[in-house]
Amino acid sequence: MGTAPARVVLTGGLSRRYTGNVQEFAVEAKDLRGVIKALDRLYPGLGEHLEEETTVAIDGEIHEVGYYQPIRPGSEVFFIPKLEGG
Amino acid sequence: MDDIIPKDRAKPFKWVGTRPVRPDGVPKVTGLALYGADFAMPGMLVGRILRSPHAHARIRSIDTSKAAALPGVKAVTTSADFPEQKFEYVGPERVAVNFWHVTRNIMARDKVLYEGHALAAVAATSKAVADEALSLIEVDYEVLPHVIDVEAAMRPDAPLLFPDLITRGVDPAPTKPSNISKRLEFKIGDLEAGFAAADEIVEMSFKTAPVHQAYIEPQACAARFDADGQGEIWSSSQGHFVVRALTAQLLGMKVGDLRVYPAEIGGAFGGKTVIYLEPVAAMLARKSGHPVKIVMSREDVFRASGPTSGSAMTVKIGVKRDGKIVAADGVFKFQAGAFPGSPVMNACMCAFAPYDIPNARSVGYDVVCNRPKVAAYRAPGSPISAFAVESVLDVLAQRLGMDPLQLRLKNAARAGTQMVYGPKLSHNGYAETIEALLDHPAYKAPLKKNQGRGVASGYWFNAGGESSATLHVNEDGTVVVATGSPDIGGSRASMAIMAAETLGIDYDQVRPIVADTASVGYTHVTGGSRVTFATGIAVVDAAKKVIRELCARAAMIWDVDVEGVVWEDGYAKPASSNVGDFKPLSLKEIAAKRALTGGPIGAAAAVNAGGVAPGFATQFCDVEVDPETGKVTVLRFVAAQDVGRAIHPSYVEGQIQGGVVQGIGWALNEEYIYDSRGRLENPGFLDYRIPVASDLPMIEAVLIEVPNPNHPYGAKGVAEVNICPPMAAIANAIDRAVGRRLTELPMSPPKVLAAIDAREQA
Repeated sequence: MGTAPARVVLTGGLSRRYTGNVQEFAVEAKDLRGVIKALDRLYPGLGEHLEEETTVAIDGEIHEVGYYQPIRPGSEVFFIPKLEGG
Repeated sequence: MDDIIPKDRAKPFKWVGTRPVRPDGVPKVTGLALYGADFAMPGMLVGRILRSPHAHARIRSIDTSKAAALPGVKAVTTSADFPEQKFEYVGPERVAVNFWHVTRNIMARDKVLYEGHALAAVAATSKAVADEALSLIEVDYEVLPHVIDVEAAMRPDAPLLFPDLITRGVDPAPTKPSNISKRLEFKIGDLEAGFAAADEIVEMSFKTAPVHQAYIEPQACAARFDADGQGEIWSSSQGHFVVRALTAQLLGMKVGDLRVYPAEIGGAFGGKTVIYLEPVAAMLARKSGHPVKIVMSREDVFRASGPTSGSAMTVKIGVKRDGKIVAADGVFKFQAGAFPGSPVMNACMCAFAPYDIPNARSVGYDVVCNRPKVAAYRAPGSPISAFAVESVLDVLAQRLGMDPLQLRLKNAARAGTQMVYGPKLSHNGYAETIEALLDHPAYKAPLKKNQGRGVASGYWFNAGGESSATLHVNEDGTVVVATGSPDIGGSRASMAIMAAETLGIDYDQVRPIVADTASVGYTHVTGGSRVTFATGIAVVDAAKKVIRELCARAAMIWDVDVEGVVWEDGYAKPASSNVGDFKPLSLKEIAAKRALTGGPIGAAAAVNAGGVAPGFATQFCDVEVDPETGKVTVLRFVAAQDVGRAIHPSYVEGQIQGGVVQGIGWALNEEYIYDSRGRLENPGFLDYRIPVASDLPMIEAVLIEVPNPNHPYGAKGVAEVNICPPMAAIANAIDRAVGRRLTELPMSPPKVLAAIDAREQA
């Protein structure tokens, strides 16, 4: 695509559990659906874990995981444990 | 259409930021509001629960035959009636639900794991009959050794709650079971190099007592079942959709076969995000064919509902001489109660979050013990780790001879700061809370002998997520706003304000309600400080849809293209003189012509709200310590918090004051006292002492408004972060008053006196 890939990082033990401690990935995608699909291709089944178990920070903004979230070239995407309060 | 909402204050808000009377106020002060215990139906039975007198015991047998035979008893239930659940963790790590555990918590199987653990229930025609029936249930227990303290529970020789619990998060996995459910770790930078570069290092250990949310209204619910398997529940909770989901799973029902109605709620603070009574009442209703109501006593609440964790922690922080923090390390051990799932992950993520620290690590342990399973409590986990971190920072400030606010300001996290859990912070707001207190006139006010001033800060994520809202325009032009968010802190007023502001109509033309699970779309719990943010976005989205429809109806009335109509200040107006010379139409006038123009006017909106901005709080307090008794009197409390934009400032101030009060109780008095057999000795408000008005000064809330651009009116969550600083602020104030550092909560008079005596002996 000729664009800077997004830097995708798994935190909070996700890499230990699901990717053999591989924490960072360079992914070209226009939305979060594309990011999840790309990671699921590398580690089959990972996509479902990310959808069910994580919150996502895209360039620092924290969102619930949603396919529709846009990803800009060069974005930083962190999958972090899902957050919940009292 | 999005430009209907002003992006800055150039166009002043009419309702946002004002303080109208809350719509649910009159029924509450006149006693007519219906809480969970207030529902009654013809033929309704009284449900009562048999609870374990032992902290840990194997159930050899339960014989309910005599109870079932008692005249007036219509149903008896035990765990045998509930379907077994698969052992698996479902959902996100921090709040993963394991229904194998949940079903055992609401009704014990094989073992009782804490005093108060439910193990049978009856439904009878009166409370007296129900109580007699409970006394006829014969349980044969094999009493087992118990463990309550978190560090005692972690020892290799501790009594095991589960013989096959293997610690998760450790590589390689342990071969022996223990009470440690999980280990977790977050880390950035190079810890060793960071500490090597430090000029001052402080390492200290802390303990905190488990504390209860201490809501005034005990859990209560009523349930009924029809012969076709359709069930209904009325209950007081923080989320009736979650009540529906959990109850349906535990009873083996389809979600669609259960309808849950939200009652008014008399406090929750996280404790009503989980269920205890609903599946039991529903089971008794299904078995008896009658409606059944169960109400917890205060003793039940203390013995059987979830408090937050007690903890043991060690925190080490290194700084340069100029005050720059270069490294921080924390180990946090949390009680989970009888089943895994403490908020230790939150504690690890929040501990160092207010600060820009290049090298940091936080390690957490989730530990089961013979106490009720913990439940969420206001910013769950964060206040506990903040007590340790903010105490250590105060010691460092004293060693450096630096003002404690200036130390925090020097290290304040700002947009772009990397957090210990990975991403960069994307919102400001923390430094502004510190600057507000530095400028506060009372911060420099002189103190007397035995008085001290303490400072502390706190961080909470806040939350977004799934919410739904529906707006109906009534025939007379008034508007109903229905959401699925139980109103705990005045959210109906906030929803009405945002709807009125968006529609351009008066606040008192809007009637906000909390709708049941069949009457509005799925909405996640009122928790995580998410409602004004997420449900507020849904309300504004629905209002925008209504405006589009109102413009379309006006276009039809004027017989012009819809593009020729704009909505301003509650009126449809021609977009320009080219459209025509029409008198603006009010919402009321358009509603009157609804039938002619297409029928009823309304809209629904649903969101999965993202772009959450975290909450930061900084507080200072003045205390006076009585050297004769050890009693600590809080003389002044000033609490600054970044609130984004206060939609209804009175309720924002109320949240801040409430969080501070709960923090003061946590700091000074609240604790569970157990006897040698693991039985709670203080299950009531006479002996479990929460602050009352006469214990407290006026708490001054300082609202800092750094709007969140991801919310139409700039709102951020406001309900939780305020409870994070008080424990450390008070400990820091006590130290500065009498020169003794207390590291164990509560800092009750005997402990403070012992610390003073130790100083004098030294």
